[in-house]
Amino acid sequence: MGFEVETLKFEGPLDLMLHLIHEQQLDIFDLDMEVLTDQYIAYLHAMEDLQLEVESEYLVELTTLIEYKSKKLLPKRGDELEDDYEDPKDRLVRRLLEYQKYKEVSAALYDSFVERQDQLSKPLSLDRFVKEGDLDSQKVEGDPYDLLKAMNKVLRRLQLSRPLDIKITQKELSPEERILQIKARMKDLPETFSFETLIEDCDDLHEYVITFMAILDMAKDHYLAFTIDDNENIWFTRGTNHE
Amino acid sequence: MNEEEMMEEKTEIEEVSDTHREEVKQPDNMEAIVEGLLYVVGEDGVKAEQLALAIDKSLEDTKIILENIQHKYASELYGIELVGYGSVYKFITKKDVFPYAQILLGTAKPGTLSQAALETLAIIAYKQPITRIEIEELRGVSAEVMLRKLQARNLIKEAGRSEAPGRPILYEVTEEFMDSFKLYTLNELPDLPEYKQEEENENLFE
Repeated sequence: MGFEVETLKFEGPLDLMLHLIHEQQLDIFDLDMEVLTDQYIAYLHAMEDLQLEVESEYLVELTTLIEYKSKKLLPKRGDELEDDYEDPKDRLVRRLLEYQKYKEVSAALYDSFVERQDQLSKPLSLDRFVKEGDLDSQKVEGDPYDLLKAMNKVLRRLQLSRPLDIKITQKELSPEERILQIKARMKDLPETFSFETLIEDCDDLHEYVITFMAILDMAKDHYLAFTIDDNENIWFTRGTNHE
Repeated sequence: MNEEEMMEEKTEIEEVSDTHREEVKQPDNMEAIVEGLLYVVGEDGVKAEQLALAIDKSLEDTKIILENIQHKYASELYGIELVGYGSVYKFITKKDVFPYAQILLGTAKPGTLSQAALETLAIIAYKQPITRIEIEELRGVSAEVMLRKLQARNLIKEAGRSEAPGRPILYEVTEEFMDSFKLYTLNELPDLPEYKQEEENENLFE
């Protein structure tokens, strides 16, 4: 989400500093903090000139740089001469090196990710293996993210079971109307029923989504309780608030 | 649960599987059966332990069967291969298939992960279990939204809480992560680069 401008493709202040160090050909092991600080400030100004909001994270690190600069002008305090005192510059260098490690290794990880994306698999063959009876013994409450994941899976399965065709229709079905429809249909439904059962009367994605929103509302009101099994199927039972 | 109860439950499970198995004669070629099961589970995959229960073999025997199948499909005669990323076994197409699948089925959506997501995942994979604060210290940016996104994509999960003050949530990577990055175990992650100050540089200034 959000958009990125070409000049702004930094992942944060450390990324920006690494870029500046590289650009100015600074030696990271003998870091010229003055040049780095000046360049860093110049960059933040440039961002402001483009009327782009400077994220607070960049300002936090700016204070580190300025703190270093100001400290250099002051005589050393006693505690700074002790052994375990870490020079802010050393600390920054250590963080930059550490960050660079993960930045570098993430490029290697990305290659495997891209390769794996191109290797496909088929969905689970599920049709004949519905174990409705077992559900009572395994009541688990899921969180909304589980429900979201399961919904994604349902949509993927449905997409696969339907032929490719595109039509444009305009239907106005609100979640509120859908809740009434579902409540009416629930009179004839068994104790436990699946999400697939609820969307049997839907013909398009719009209606699936409305149904999903309706059941979210119904789950919130404890009218429905949901369970997600190991195969990420969504099952419903009547909730505590079911009259 | 005490020991007695555990025993009871165990025999119960055995009984159930026995009744299921009564008429099933074990065929000679269990490899073919396992191959079929792997086809059935599809993208969900299956663990060696689950397979061992289903085919009534020891875990070791099951792993040998899986290895044989894996070996068989490694041959270039086949367009699919058996992988066990994160200990979950599944058939996937070989990478040479993809360009043809695109012609057959139309352009595929590219799988995407932002640089920020990759860096966050890398840090968690190498340092897990790890808290949000530790990740933020390393990347220098807030990680809250990213962690939530990665959790929603099932690439990371919560793994208890740290003993540190405030008992912050610990995060670790999931089986889904292992699959997405083609890893059987985390030991297969590439070594982190080491940066050392080059001593020779000093000569340049002489």
